[in-house]
Amino acid sequence: MSEALGRVVATERKPNTPHEFHFWTAINSPVGIGTIVRVDGAQPMDGQIPHIYGIVVEGFSYTDLQSPMHDVLGHDGLPTLAGFASTERAEIRLYTAAVLRQIPEEPLQPVPMGQVFLAEEADVHVALRMDSYLKDGANTGIPVGVYRAGGTDAVIYLDADFLLGPEAAHLNITGVSGLATKTSAVEWLLASLFKHFPEEKGSIAAVCFNVKGPDLCYLDKPGKVEQTDEALYEKLGVEPKPFQKVEYFAPYTAKGLALNTFRNNEELLDNVTPLTWGLREVLQYAEVLLNKDDIDAKADALIDFITENVVDKEFAADGVLVKNHRVESFADLDAWFRDVLQGLEKKNGESWRTHHVATIRKVRNRLSNISTRCAGLVTDSGAVSDLPFGSFEDKTVYVVDVANLEEDAQDLIFARIVSKLREHLERRDLGVKHLVVFVDELNKYAPGDGPETYVRKMLLDIAERGRYLGLVLFSAQQFRSQVHRRVVGNSGTALFGRMDPDELSTPGYAVLSPATRTKLATLEKGQLMIRHPHFTQPIFVRFPRPAVMQGREGSERYPQSNEISLEAAILRALRPLDPTISLPWVQEITALYTEQEVIRARNATLLARPNDVKAYFSSQFRKIIPAQPAQRPMAGSIRSVPENDPYGF
Amino acid sequence: MDGAASVEPLAASDPPTLRAATVIEGTALRAVRVPDFSPEAKSGFGAFLDGTQKVQIVAHHCGMPIVIGTVSAAVRIRVDRRLTTWGHQPPLVERKIYLPLRYLPVLAELGADVAQTSWQIVDTSTADKSGEYPSQHPAVLLERATRAVDQQREHLEDRLAEAWCAQGEAPIYIDGGISRSANVASSALAVGVIKSHRTLYVEGDALRIVLGLRKGERSSVFRVAPRSRSSVMSWYLRLRGEAGRDPLWGLVRVEVTERERPSDRANEISRWIMAETTPLSLPDGRWDKMAYGVRDCEEFLRAIS
Repeated sequence: MSEALGRVVATERKPNTPHEFHFWTAINSPVGIGTIVRVDGAQPMDGQIPHIYGIVVEGFSYTDLQSPMHDVLGHDGLPTLAGFASTERAEIRLYTAAVLRQIPEEPLQPVPMGQVFLAEEADVHVALRMDSYLKDGANTGIPVGVYRAGGTDAVIYLDADFLLGPEAAHLNITGVSGLATKTSAVEWLLASLFKHFPEEKGSIAAVCFNVKGPDLCYLDKPGKVEQTDEALYEKLGVEPKPFQKVEYFAPYTAKGLALNTFRNNEELLDNVTPLTWGLREVLQYAEVLLNKDDIDAKADALIDFITENVVDKEFAADGVLVKNHRVESFADLDAWFRDVLQGLEKKNGESWRTHHVATIRKVRNRLSNISTRCAGLVTDSGAVSDLPFGSFEDKTVYVVDVANLEEDAQDLIFARIVSKLREHLERRDLGVKHLVVFVDELNKYAPGDGPETYVRKMLLDIAERGRYLGLVLFSAQQFRSQVHRRVVGNSGTALFGRMDPDELSTPGYAVLSPATRTKLATLEKGQLMIRHPHFTQPIFVRFPRPAVMQGREGSERYPQSNEISLEAAILRALRPLDPTISLPWVQEITALYTEQEVIRARNATLLARPNDVKAYFSSQFRKIIPAQPAQRPMAGSIRSVPENDPYGF
Repeated sequence: MDGAASVEPLAASDPPTLRAATVIEGTALRAVRVPDFSPEAKSGFGAFLDGTQKVQIVAHHCGMPIVIGTVSAAVRIRVDRRLTTWGHQPPLVERKIYLPLRYLPVLAELGADVAQTSWQIVDTSTADKSGEYPSQHPAVLLERATRAVDQQREHLEDRLAEAWCAQGEAPIYIDGGISRSANVASSALAVGVIKSHRTLYVEGDALRIVLGLRKGERSSVFRVAPRSRSSVMSWYLRLRGEAGRDPLWGLVRVEVTERERPSDRANEISRWIMAETTPLSLPDGRWDKMAYGVRDCEEFLRAIS
């Protein structure tokens, strides 16, 4: 057992309570804010020596100097003379600790006088109640970091039952940007989760929305791991390796040639899948893109009518429509609208099937506009390339890169993917039993104020009901105080990196001591403060830098491709399917066709992923007989006329 | 002790006196500026010794005071400019009951039982050297108890001082005189610094010189040879400027064992003592004369006794 490093003290002015106590230490003791200590009571209770575990939340230092003036007088007003005094004044290090746990737990009494010891690893387990889920048979501990103080290195575990449900769920991370806290913490935690998630709880995967920068774009590439981090990885039982299975999804750019992602370098395209949706997929989430000013009750009714009766249905000509329609794409829908409106004009009618012509024009305008606003994601042709709903794989990360998209497109992607995930999890046919959804910039998607949006409603729904489905939200933001209270409030686990002092001054942090807030404002990279349902007080831990390539390094090593020619885009898209495809072959096949036709053929090929890529791609084009130069008729020879032929024949 | 009334230390019963002493540095007493002193001067003291006492009247029996006296003493050594308790000889704390047994027959009869308790009893009604018993006046008996406690405290201080001098580690700053113990009075390590001046060892012109000492000045060295104590050499030293204050402000008397070249020794020790004037020992009322290390001893003893 280690030596005592302090003694509990209590005065009438500063008494100990069941939740807080005070102790002093030597000047050079390794105690600091966040240190976990153990108090051994002096008097047994029911035959048992009480042990009290606490975490240091405040520190005081003072000398026997009663007035600063005494020091001034003592050194004749010259600070330079102060260093020559033969004796330093008597000085105290006095700490306040918040009680983590008392054993025995009943009766709950004020902390008794006693010696204070630095908590060892076993003490930390007991203090944080981790013993309940690290014992044989429980085994639901997920390492989140290492607690360090003095000579103690203790692994801190989160309880999977309280991180991913069913008891509690969700995780929220707060921290200032640019200090490798939020994204790094999530990357590390996912690695730990994939390694330590209990087998008996089933399979797990993650969907990460990359909403800014390239940080999540190189999760399958190894990054630099420092020696100190290697030791942490070893202690935490996780191999310092990048993720083994990562799938990327990104829409095309507006021109539709290159993928709109930081990861569109040719060397990285083998696991990048285009994300394209057609009319059917978009119409289900039209309300994400159409605000309430756009959609009144009449317009809503018409959209419902189109969804129910027009899309993917044979729509026969009637008195107004002059021809039959089968609407499968935005282009088909526009043709349908045109037919309806022309029919009404011809008949000089004001309404069709109870829908006023003005409403029809308005809805046409708004819906047609979607394919423009979300160009690259929404295709006129109706080609769909999507996440593998139904065949998600265990321990796989699915990254959806929406960083370069317009806000509307981001909202649409977010709403549809999360809704689909939820539907599949409800039906238990997603492919995995548990799914982590990571969303950064929660300030933007679930703000505490502002208008009610579809995305915010959905995030609230996940936060409040997701844990019953196995749908777990890992969210991050810079300013927790600006996120909807029900989203952060439902996060069972909260991580805090270095914090902005302004943010720390908001009421949500009033429960923390001033010293803890100061520590939060000065945390180093790789340090976190953790709140977890089992921990009665926040705990500080250190986690290793993720073993994946960082965004900056990745974007330097694999520079993003600029917009490229049509042929080069086709070559890039198809070569991962068939390495024998060459640029001359692409140029030869596509030479006669329009850009739209070529892109459509590419999309169809990528969706089908056929065995014979060349044949399939070629078959997507209509037959065109190449123009042949007209054969010039042979001119007859001009006979020479005999000089003596009077008729000239 | 609950309900016990603390007794303020009684004013010394000896009246203020002037007493002539033999000057051993030169032929007449004069003021000497301590040479080579600067704020950067280092102190040679390695430890401080002081004692405390507490007298409490816990009860009266038949009008006679029953007193508990607590005395303590400690040596605080300086390590890396910080003071800590001397490990070789732990601080001493003693607590005794002071009873005028002669005037408390009932308690006297209990002698055997009392002896079995863990408390030591000191009879304050014994006859003095001339065979006379003290008056039964409660104030006289209280004064006797207080003197006995005082002596007990001096005894503890002497024990620690002798232990320190026997160990021979470094010069020690002793709060008070060193002449009570022959071992201490003859040790080169012991330096006694006296803050109270009930007896001034100067008369006539010498008195005016001592009272007129300026900050950083000392008197010539003289010999102090009390009848029942060891002879030591001594000098006065002004630690702080007395302008506007009483003439004894910042004035201490230093005692060391007699050695050759008293001037050099007095200058060296004076520099050390002046180096101990920071940090200030405020808020103690005697801060003008008290070294911080002595205050530290007293605070330490207050905490443990």
